[in-house]
Amino acid sequence: MSDTPILELKGLTKRFGGLTAVGDVSFKVSEGGISGLIGPNGAGKTTIFNLITGVYKVTAGEVLYRGNPIHNREPYQIADAGVTRTFQNIRLFKNLSAFDNVYTACHTSAQYGIVEALCRLPRFRREERALKEKTRGLLEIMGLSDRADVMANNLPYGLQRRLEITRALALDPKLLLLDEPAAGMNPDETLNLMKLIGEIRDRFKLSVLVIEHHMDLIMGVCEHIHVLNFGCTLADGSPEQVAGDPRVVDAYLGVEEE
Amino acid sequence: MNQFLQQLVNGLSIGSIYALMAVGYSLVYSIMNFSNFAHGSVIMLGAYFGFFALTLLGLPFALAFFVAASGTALFAVALERLAYKPLRDRKAPFLYFIITAMGASIFIDNSVIATIGPTPKTFPQASLPSFLRSGSVEIGSLNVGRVDIAMFVITAICLAALVLFIDKTKMGKAIQATAYNMKASALMGINPGFVIILVFAIGGALAGVAGVLYGMKYQVYPQMSSITMKSFIAAVFGGLGSLPGALLGSVLLALIETFVSGYVSTQLRDLFAFGILIAMLVIRPQGIMGKSMEDKA
Amino acid sequence: MDAYIQQIIVMTGINLIAVLGLSILTGFTGLFSFGHAGFMAIGSYIAAICTARLPQILQTQFGLHLEPMAAFALAVVAGALAAGVVSWLIGMLTLKLKGDYFCIATMGFGEAVRIILNNIPYVGGARGWESLPKLTSIWLVLGLDVLFVVITWNLINSRQGRNMVAVREEELAAQMSGIDVYRHKMTALIVSAIFAGVAGALMANYIQFIRPTMFNMARSTDLTIMVIFGGLGSISGTILGTILLTWLPEVFRNFAQWRLVVYGLAVIVIMVGRPQGLVGGMELTPSGIRKAMTARNARKRFKEVGDDAGGQK
Repeated sequence: MSDTPILELKGLTKRFGGLTAVGDVSFKVSEGGISGLIGPNGAGKTTIFNLITGVYKVTAGEVLYRGNPIHNREPYQIADAGVTRTFQNIRLFKNLSAFDNVYTACHTSAQYGIVEALCRLPRFRREERALKEKTRGLLEIMGLSDRADVMANNLPYGLQRRLEITRALALDPKLLLLDEPAAGMNPDETLNLMKLIGEIRDRFKLSVLVIEHHMDLIMGVCEHIHVLNFGCTLADGSPEQVAGDPRVVDAYLGVEEE
Repeated sequence: MNQFLQQLVNGLSIGSIYALMAVGYSLVYSIMNFSNFAHGSVIMLGAYFGFFALTLLGLPFALAFFVAASGTALFAVALERLAYKPLRDRKAPFLYFIITAMGASIFIDNSVIATIGPTPKTFPQASLPSFLRSGSVEIGSLNVGRVDIAMFVITAICLAALVLFIDKTKMGKAIQATAYNMKASALMGINPGFVIILVFAIGGALAGVAGVLYGMKYQVYPQMSSITMKSFIAAVFGGLGSLPGALLGSVLLALIETFVSGYVSTQLRDLFAFGILIAMLVIRPQGIMGKSMEDKA
Repeated sequence: MDAYIQQIIVMTGINLIAVLGLSILTGFTGLFSFGHAGFMAIGSYIAAICTARLPQILQTQFGLHLEPMAAFALAVVAGALAAGVVSWLIGMLTLKLKGDYFCIATMGFGEAVRIILNNIPYVGGARGWESLPKLTSIWLVLGLDVLFVVITWNLINSRQGRNMVAVREEELAAQMSGIDVYRHKMTALIVSAIFAGVAGALMANYIQFIRPTMFNMARSTDLTIMVIFGGLGSISGTILGTILLTWLPEVFRNFAQWRLVVYGLAVIVIMVGRPQGLVGGMELTPSGIRKAMTARNARKRFKEVGDDAGGQK
């Protein structure tokens, strides 16, 4: 494990008009680690994901990926560089089959150009075969093989989340951002998901940053936790440190009563 | 100087009629977020309603106006119920609304051609009250058409009534609230279905008035709806969904048009209109007065 | 072959090329245009210049002889390229706009092209341009149809085509999957404009008469309606839609006044009653039908198992 963190936020700030959604947030995600980003509703967690992935432009501060600034790049370039994500409200290619969702996302593994595609040149055929192989392999690993032909929209909710993660993995990411992956899941499914996140990390050799409300999931899988409140850092440390922090307990008791 | 004032007067007269039409586009857009391209055909129907009320039924002039306005209001509401409501119920994307509107426009225009025929009709002078007959009035050194004055006055009255209605009455407030946020206002007990009917009825009634006025100044013919494209450009120019924007956009567009055709070339007038449309969309798609929108992911 | 039947076949074939292009843009990439008649107009007028004016110019100015068919080949290529270049400029200006506004901008573009042509006496102005050479043949059109169907099919079944579909389905997720949304929209727009340009070039040299009103907004709407009627996201649907909607008005020719009434009504009924069009989202090929069947069966099979977690929002 190298010393450079895979992701580092430095003084990250985002303002919408007069509203500061994220104010001067700094933290690191270490290479190969699973980190958690938690905080009450409206604390700015998803905004931070949108800033990392380039959906929003940064007002001030820096996003460093493996030591290089990425906050001025286009979203697709950031994804290409190895940062992919899932969404809080699932965003699949709804009218495509599970297979095609992943198949589409594998596109960066192929090099052929548009003319080669139109003329069906050998490289096109070779690479398309490889893409199909890769897609099948991913679906297999993620336990979606038997539903490969089902339209994404018709998959049960839990599997839609799983498919979204599979699609993100198709780009061979080095950093995977998961936005509330356990939302709407029952305790059993949450437990499975925890195991899955660990497996993915080990198998694909990547780092994970996860936003979550389920405290058991966060405490169970994360090695490092960053707590936000009203767009600002509240605490940062290991699960034990964070859980014992009185400010965190305060912030959560006020809001998290479901 | 004289020519300048004359153009200004012409521009204001045309601008007022654009405004009357543009309001219909903008009202519907503010609630339903789509461009109702069938609106032009409703305006054309209004002109025919007014024409036949005067000639066939021999109604007095004011009553003919009323018949035209209520006829188009009913028609617009029927169109909403039959064509748009099923799309709303299934939460279809806005493009289906636009295509449906275009289909409705093709249907309405060609139904008129097939039944009444394509020949333009002219309002018989005898059926019009004296203040609306052709001819002009000398105001200072200016020559102002009587129809133009009437158009300006009637439009001003209609628009003032609309503004009062929207600002002062409960129903008007309901429209404002729904335009601002349909879900939230529905939770506050404002029935969105009712507001949509109301908006189509108002837009339809104004379309009827505009159709009659336009038909009086020029002629009544089935392809009139293509002329109303200009008022749509005016609505976009001023900011789709904004009433003050529709008014401002209409007057500005009409002034630009009359000055271009007065000082540059009549042929280039339409090119200017579409050029302005594209330039506006590129520079400021929400128009002069439209609300800016930043998508939240 | 009956000349009348032949004419309808040729017009269907020419329409098909334009509609296939629009199908890539609308059906597969999810962008709606109401200005594609403008690109057809560019193709038509550039081609007319190449076939009706260029040979004479070359003859008198340079003493060069240009064979009519060579001029025609040049005309089709030049028409396609001109449409492509203009679409690239238009795309740079408008592709960043959101859906509704892109639509309106393309409409403005189409009308602007028409009005500009109205004001150029060199190409006949508003009165139109008559007695162009007749160089398009039925076999050429049918041959090009096959070529363009293959091109479209190969494009859609490549990573570029799949990326376009991803843009249509969910723009943000496409970006997060490393897809350059702007570039793929641009590609789709340029390809569709090139197709329209080719169609325009063929048309000018078939009916031998072009006039700006032939390329008005109603024409653009017609093309879009054919795509929707056949079904968004289906090449076979596009072909079917084009054939049916080009032939239908001819069948009702005796009721000339009523055919557009029926047409308008049909559009509303399709939009309201069957928005996926005739065959939206699937292909009428053996493998396409098999795919649709397995998807349906798979859905049924898993429906019985029930949702794993509480239903979707």
